[in-house]
Amino acid sequence: MEPRGSSGVGSGNSGTYTPEIAKSLRFEEEIQSLIDPSFDASSAAGGSFTALLGLPANQAVELLHHPGPGEPPASAASSSPTAGDLWRLRLGEHHAATDTLRLPFGCSSTFEERAARFSVFATDDSPASSSGGGLSPGLKAEPPDSDSQPTLPAPVGKPRRPSKRKECEKSKAKAVAKKSKSAEENTSAAKPAAEENTSGDKLPYVHVRARRGQATDSHSLAERARREKINARMKLLQELVPGCSKITGTALVLDEIINHVQSLQRQVEVRHLPHHYHHSLSLNNFLSMKLAAVNPRIDFSGLDHILSAECGPLAVDSGCGGGASDPTMWASDTAASTGGIRRMPAPPQIWHLDLVHPQQSSTVWENNGAAHPHFLLSTATSLVGYDPASSVILNSNQLKTEL
Amino acid sequence: MISPSSSSASSSRKKKMKRAETKWRTAAQERIYRRRLLEALRATASRAGPRAVKEAADSALALTARGQSQWSRAILLGRCRPRRKLLLKAGGKVRRGRRRPRPAAPVPVAAAAPAGKKVRDRLRVLGRLVPGCRQLSAPSLLEEAADYVAALEMQVKAMRALADALSAASLNAAAAGEAESRVV
Repeated sequence: MEPRGSSGVGSGNSGTYTPEIAKSLRFEEEIQSLIDPSFDASSAAGGSFTALLGLPANQAVELLHHPGPGEPPASAASSSPTAGDLWRLRLGEHHAATDTLRLPFGCSSTFEERAARFSVFATDDSPASSSGGGLSPGLKAEPPDSDSQPTLPAPVGKPRRPSKRKECEKSKAKAVAKKSKSAEENTSAAKPAAEENTSGDKLPYVHVRARRGQATDSHSLAERARREKINARMKLLQELVPGCSKITGTALVLDEIINHVQSLQRQVEVRHLPHHYHHSLSLNNFLSMKLAAVNPRIDFSGLDHILSAECGPLAVDSGCGGGASDPTMWASDTAASTGGIRRMPAPPQIWHLDLVHPQQSSTVWENNGAAHPHFLLSTATSLVGYDPASSVILNSNQLKTEL
Repeated sequence: MISPSSSSASSSRKKKMKRAETKWRTAAQERIYRRRLLEALRATASRAGPRAVKEAADSALALTARGQSQWSRAILLGRCRPRRKLLLKAGGKVRRGRRRPRPAAPVPVAAAAPAGKKVRDRLRVLGRLVPGCRQLSAPSLLEEAADYVAALEMQVKAMRALADALSAASLNAAAAGEAESRVV
């Protein structure tokens, strides 16, 4: 670990980092001892990485985001050149250092791995990286931060790593909230808290911050994460249901949503009642084959169906126009229908069960030499799985009479 | 169709979450649904009964959902024959139809956040309303509900249009048919 006095976070910041690093070295060691009982406190080699952990948020952010010019440290400093060197070392040679350091947060690469594995807050166990089991409670605090890690690209260069360090630091700060916050932020009590959220906003990624005054243990963090998830979904629903944005209160909003869903479902039911009665009426009053003719007519004009309702009546007239024209119509229609069939998306394999039926009934149709029933059969059966055979056969009867 | 999702703290989930409304309200979806609806209706012409029609409409809707949502899977699989096997095959999330009511904790612990009897009751009712979403956790239930509401709205719109057009058409058909039959 040769001292690299000039290399800093991308450039020579030796002077700026050392104070914080030195100050937080204490915490780092505490953390280390917490996590790794066998940690050799004397080996400050591992300290540099976690040195940043105890940093107050705002300072860390500034430090990390402005690696070029040295940011004046906010807090008083006791300088320890070795700490700064170690910090540099951390940044520079994380890979080599990891092995020797046995840090829970390892180097950035392991951290990324771990971060990449975190997909949800607090639901992930500690990753396969070097962190021990004892760290998992601490790590649970981390996921909210590392949750954003997957969005980060692989560390391209030093500026990246520092930002991760900051994440790490923040999460660590959360994990060891009491210690770091109480001790660290004694100096600038209100400032870090105020800065915490604002600095969070500056960041390109989103992460959950433990707000001041709120519990920071893993459980409550997970709770809060879940709550936010639920609230996000509730907001979605509120936007969807008209008139819900004004209502405050989960219960009332849910009330509205339930009413809306019920009304919609009722509408669907009632919608089809008059329509269906119309159907049955025509069936009763007029020749059923006319209606059967009407149906496919409407469908094939249904391609333009959306555009105009006049297509319906027109097609109906042409359909009723005469039996002689039917075969030709069917032929053209099958062309359209095959297009329709193809348009049907590749259904999940479960629906292939239904497609079996067309095979059976297709033979029946081939006797008639009519291709159109295929369309009806296949689509009908593949569309709805219920009782395809009977409906198909009935349809076929109707169509037979037509032809 | 991927629009920025609502503020979800998980960035990875942002990519997955599409807004329910945008997904369902596109004209393309409506067109797809209309076609399916027509086909389904023709299939039910034999079997009279508004219930069958409604079922067909719902199945068409679920089909249009492509089985990506819980409720759509539940609807479609409810129609299919051996429910159990397919339930397991269809999607990881679909569980066996555990119909035994769980009044104690119908909504798993995840709903603990909006704590309160009222909220939990409402969530349970919502779970009963949305098909196949009874034993769902609160966040997924809300998501399914959003999807379902959007789908329902589209369904109502499409069905209304279809019903109007069809009734007009059948009226004409009736009138023309009479004339035709007289002639023939």
